[in-house]
Amino acid sequence: MVTTRHQFASPLQLLALASAGIILLPLGYVTAQALSADPVVWQRLWTTRIPELLFNTVSLAASVAVVTLILGVSTAWLITRVEIPGRRLWEGALVLPLAMPTYVLAYVYSYLLGFGGPAEYLWQLAAGPQARIFSPHSFWGATLVMALDTFPFVYLLSRSALLSMNVSFEEVARASGVSRMATLWRVTLPLMRPSIAAGLALVILYVVSDFGAVSLLRYQTLTYAVFQQMTGRSDNTAASILSLLLVVIALIFLITERWFRQRSRFYQTTGRYRAPERHRYGRLGSFAVISYLGLIVGAAFALPTILLIQWSLSAEALATINNRFFGFVWNSAILAAGASTGGVLIGLPLAYLACRRPTLLNLSCLQAAYAGYALPGPVAALAVLILFTTIAPVFYGSVLILIVAYVIHFLPAGLQSLEPALQQLSPNLEEVSRTLGLGMRDTWRRVTLPLVRNGFVVAWVLMFLQTMKELPATLLLRPVGFDTLAIRVWMEASEEYFQLAAPSALLIVVLSLPALALLVSKDWRAA
Amino acid sequence: METTLEGNLFTPASSVLELRTVSCAYEPGRPAVQGISFSAREGEILCLLGPSGCGKTTILRAIAGFEPVRSGQLFLSGQLVSSPDVTVPTENRRVGMVFQEYALFPHLRVQDNIAFGLRHLVRSERAARVQEMLRLIGLEGFERRYPHELSGGQQQRVALARALVQHPVVLLLDEPFSNLDPDMAGRMRQELHDLLRRTKTTTVLVTHDHDEAFAMADRIAVLNQGRLEQFDTPEMTYHMPATPFVADFVGQADFVPGTVSHGMVHTELGEFPDTIECKDGTAVVVMIRPDDIHLVPTKGALARVLSRQFRGSENLYTVSLPSGQIVHSSQGSTSIYQAGTTVEVRVLATHTVLFRREDSTG
Repeated sequence: MVTTRHQFASPLQLLALASAGIILLPLGYVTAQALSADPVVWQRLWTTRIPELLFNTVSLAASVAVVTLILGVSTAWLITRVEIPGRRLWEGALVLPLAMPTYVLAYVYSYLLGFGGPAEYLWQLAAGPQARIFSPHSFWGATLVMALDTFPFVYLLSRSALLSMNVSFEEVARASGVSRMATLWRVTLPLMRPSIAAGLALVILYVVSDFGAVSLLRYQTLTYAVFQQMTGRSDNTAASILSLLLVVIALIFLITERWFRQRSRFYQTTGRYRAPERHRYGRLGSFAVISYLGLIVGAAFALPTILLIQWSLSAEALATINNRFFGFVWNSAILAAGASTGGVLIGLPLAYLACRRPTLLNLSCLQAAYAGYALPGPVAALAVLILFTTIAPVFYGSVLILIVAYVIHFLPAGLQSLEPALQQLSPNLEEVSRTLGLGMRDTWRRVTLPLVRNGFVVAWVLMFLQTMKELPATLLLRPVGFDTLAIRVWMEASEEYFQLAAPSALLIVVLSLPALALLVSKDWRAA
Repeated sequence: METTLEGNLFTPASSVLELRTVSCAYEPGRPAVQGISFSAREGEILCLLGPSGCGKTTILRAIAGFEPVRSGQLFLSGQLVSSPDVTVPTENRRVGMVFQEYALFPHLRVQDNIAFGLRHLVRSERAARVQEMLRLIGLEGFERRYPHELSGGQQQRVALARALVQHPVVLLLDEPFSNLDPDMAGRMRQELHDLLRRTKTTTVLVTHDHDEAFAMADRIAVLNQGRLEQFDTPEMTYHMPATPFVADFVGQADFVPGTVSHGMVHTELGEFPDTIECKDGTAVVVMIRPDDIHLVPTKGALARVLSRQFRGSENLYTVSLPSGQIVHSSQGSTSIYQAGTTVEVRVLATHTVLFRREDSTG
């Protein structure tokens, strides 16, 4: 039907389609490469390596999901619904682990829990000189590290859901005679489900495509295997087969999560917001809560940071801080800023269209954006490289390729924040704007954008954090000599030069903090 | 695509809004509204009345331009704005809309909310208009507040001001009083009515509350399951309902069965003139309102009071007739009869409303 009512279709939709296209091209490359491989190679991989890798990857993802679910939802609930001394501080503290990359946490814990490390020492004091605790280079080590590092995703999104939840739902339940505990279980948690699901999706994707932690902890996941294939043997075929498998797993999960979230779309009521009543616990209860929170923050952030500071102040470490070092700093910052800006600019139209006009096409474009995150760093990097060398070889060896790889890889992180922000924006507001004579473009500028600004900012910040810490794509795509802080940490940590790696690691953490502060200070009610 | 425009280019100049056999559907094959025709004169207040799901909000949204029209035509100020082939975008229609939850921009102050659509004016002119509106709605001094700092009634007034400041062709209100408590709603209704009269704004109001419709509207369109059942003044709708649904929806109604014989309808409550000219022997029902029935307590009478509902200004009695038929009667506030009192039932209707038996809801 050709009518004037579709005046809005073209520019935004074209942009969305183009973005989706760019993201799908690498996936296309991987698929083509894998499917054109010799069946013998498939056979070999399928019988030897794949079962083990699959099992490792899936079990790790599952265990991390369970742990982060518990940690994230419990902390979010405690922060929003319980009167805790120093609550504001705790709100900030619980987000701090996001500033700590998985490989930094991994290398700290491989020292703490490792052979001859302090944990073993303490254990041996209690259990005798031959006693061993579990090795960090194991399933449980990897679970611990990944969970401590990623639970803030679940925490943030759950907290956001709890803060914007209309208190009357819980009040209705309690008026119907349902106990507090049962209200939590039957009303509050189901209402939080989309946010929790979104957080868990992010966590699982993170785990499945993580490279830094699993490589330092020597835990064989599919992603680690892909990297090894590519650098060890320059064998792209085997790498792409493994990648295809990885992508299929992630895609299955993505589609399930998307379907799940589509089933519960809530619009925030624009009626007056009433802050939920906070429980007050006695002295013992408050102490228990504080200890719980303190334990988590300590393990995930405080203890590692203290260790990093200690190491950085050692003589060897101090000697590495020179101009070269500051060069790495600059590199990291530019890349991250470029990627986040590009990312939110691409992500906003995709999310907006999928939210306001959920046609199959728009939803598919959005799904395509999420698919990018299912491409592990090494594969996205390689595919982008091939793409540019075929289409625009002039950019070969430049920073632009790396930024494109970052955007493709990390766009979903930004979308996870943009989407809920848009879903909570009532369409009535845009409709009113149109009755007052504003066209779609002006409505966007004066109504939609200001109101999703918080979600926008959060998306930018989340993407900035992710790209600052990125490792495998950077390892593969960076221009010669263009090292980032992440590269330095990894290089030194893999050789167990704990002290030398410390200044870079510490700096990554410190540089992530202002961005985090921004995140926490913004009023999440609007996002 | 054939059009029927050529034959119907003439539209009465005085009608600001006109719908001609408009149908809308959210999915093909499941119409939300069908064959709706009505019009509004300048300065008139129209009410779309009906239960949830009857399509009244759909019609409102079609007038605003948010919903496309699958068949029929929609005219604003004599211009065709919606038809199956053409939909003029909302921003070009100059309709003012107030949503049920007001949809005030949370990131803007009151003055910026009201001035939102006035970008084409110079700043001084804009400020003057905002002040004028604030005076009109009685909220001077509230310019710099944010929506969350206002009460429900104040928010509604700001939403109204925002819609009226652009002198809209028609003002659309979607259940404007459903979020307010009854006292507040009653007062707001009066104020809104005065305001609309003063500004001579053509208004279409959607509600499910018939009291509200009676209080506010010059004419009421009663809708049921997507169809227009009656379009009339409040008095006519109440006293001469066109269908049993309308009769029952706008007030308490009892349907007493009877048979036609020689131009009269014979019922348990007496005889009534046959106003719909049926053949002898046709089964009909007579619609009776509680205010038409008078009770006289009489020993040994056959009808009996079942219960009494005190309503402040009146008592509503439920009475059972000898046949088992239940009727209601409205008596004075101080006439109190106990349950079980035998009464004589007298009908004092000035006119008769009849429906054929198969139409009735009973």
